[in-house]
Amino acid sequence: MTDTRSNFHQQLEQLEAEVLSMGAYAEQMLADAVAALVTSDAAAASAVIAMDDDLDNRYLEVERTWLETMALQMPVASDLRLMSVVLHTNHSLERIGDQAVSTAAAVEITEGFPTHQQMLTIIGEVGNRVRAMVRASLSAMQQRDLEGALALPSMGKAVTKLNKQLIGMVAECKDNERQLEWAVRMVVVARNLERVGARAIDIAEQVAFLLSGVFREFSADDWDPQSLLLEDR
Amino acid sequence: MDDEEMTVETKTPGEEHGQADPTAKEVVLSLEDLGVFYGAFQAVRNVTLPIRRNEVTAFIGPSGCGKSTVLRCFNRMNDLIESARVEGSVRYHGVDLYGADVDPVEVRRRIGMVFQKPNPFPKSIYDNLVFGPKIAGYRGDLDDLVEESLTKAALWGEVKDKLDQSALALSGGQQQRLCIARAIATSPDVLLMDEPASALDPIATLRIEDLMDELKRDYTIVIVTHNMQQAARVSDRTAFFTVDVRENGQRTGVLVEFDDTPKIFTNPEQRQTEDYITGRFG
Repeated sequence: MTDTRSNFHQQLEQLEAEVLSMGAYAEQMLADAVAALVTSDAAAASAVIAMDDDLDNRYLEVERTWLETMALQMPVASDLRLMSVVLHTNHSLERIGDQAVSTAAAVEITEGFPTHQQMLTIIGEVGNRVRAMVRASLSAMQQRDLEGALALPSMGKAVTKLNKQLIGMVAECKDNERQLEWAVRMVVVARNLERVGARAIDIAEQVAFLLSGVFREFSADDWDPQSLLLEDR
Repeated sequence: MDDEEMTVETKTPGEEHGQADPTAKEVVLSLEDLGVFYGAFQAVRNVTLPIRRNEVTAFIGPSGCGKSTVLRCFNRMNDLIESARVEGSVRYHGVDLYGADVDPVEVRRRIGMVFQKPNPFPKSIYDNLVFGPKIAGYRGDLDDLVEESLTKAALWGEVKDKLDQSALALSGGQQQRLCIARAIATSPDVLLMDEPASALDPIATLRIEDLMDELKRDYTIVIVTHNMQQAARVSDRTAFFTVDVRENGQRTGVLVEFDDTPKIFTNPEQRQTEDYITGRFG
């Protein structure tokens, strides 16, 4: 195989590698933020907040390179679809970083409040699961794994279930006003983490688009995303 | 690679599952299992595709893939090459263009052609335009015909005050639009364009591309281009041809894929199309 656009394809590979690396970075921010919250570690939370500037700068640089590549190289077919994946994933990762910051910020806001151990355990579990979703979506991208991408929605359902469980526990804090305030804030944090899972599903939808050429939301009522596997080339 | 492997889907949207697309436009030209020979050499084989009314259809592919050869079958330009022979059918509104009672001159009046290099006659702008209609016995007002043809070719404003000047004094881009106006002047149904902008500068190229979008309201256009981005910009449907090399070294042009242009350039069905348009050959 002779590649007459090898320089461009090398640029595209570098762009994708940078986005995957940003994914690992955002995932680390998320892990550190949830750990800081569960252990009430203000210093670790501050460190997460400080990490966000790096992620934002990398996001802007990918955007700049992406725009330049589109203007100068005019990609088509699978190259064009990969550019779409890079653009959307870059944005999703920047937002995941922001959700990690929101989670970390809750450490300071709730400092000294009485907590609820079981709720904290669930938040830790939600954090673990959405991290796994981010990792799975990026792995599907890297491995060009359609089946892996299609597994994301079922992973998201487990997170939604945990969040419902968490909301049910808020009533257990009703007798202590400060604990109740803490519990409500934890519901917001869990909701933010659930949004991280939704971002991971967005990335997986892009991976499915890259591999199949079909651009649909997995949650659309009128189709079964698994049908893509039958058409997989 | 055998013939079966090269069989091409020529579907239009809605036809994928055997359903006719009710919105598909009328087929003006159709090729069925077209083969073209120059003596014993087969230049093209097994080409089947429809050309639809008021659409721009682009032919793309590497050099030697037969795209210009196929284009020239639409108005029997290959007749001018003594050794050329056509197999299969080329139909225009259902009529076999290679039928014994078909007049090639009438075919070329209805199916006009614009070539790679602008080729105005060494005459005035006006005479370039009225030459064909006069021979065809045009009985209307020639001045009106000249204005109408030049207007459609987006050239009237630039030349209306110098119609008696030599066409050769025009710029390359203007000459090519004059050739388009000349083709229009004989009231064709179809315009064939063989690399119409490859000899022009980028601005003149964009003007021709923009003009094609206007012209397709009145005409059906088939364009051969080496410029894939041009095909992407101007066409509604794209046919990708390639060269099939047999074990004995014989090289024959074949149609690999024919589909809506956005589909070809975002998610082509065939690996060969994907590799070609993304710059990967092998």
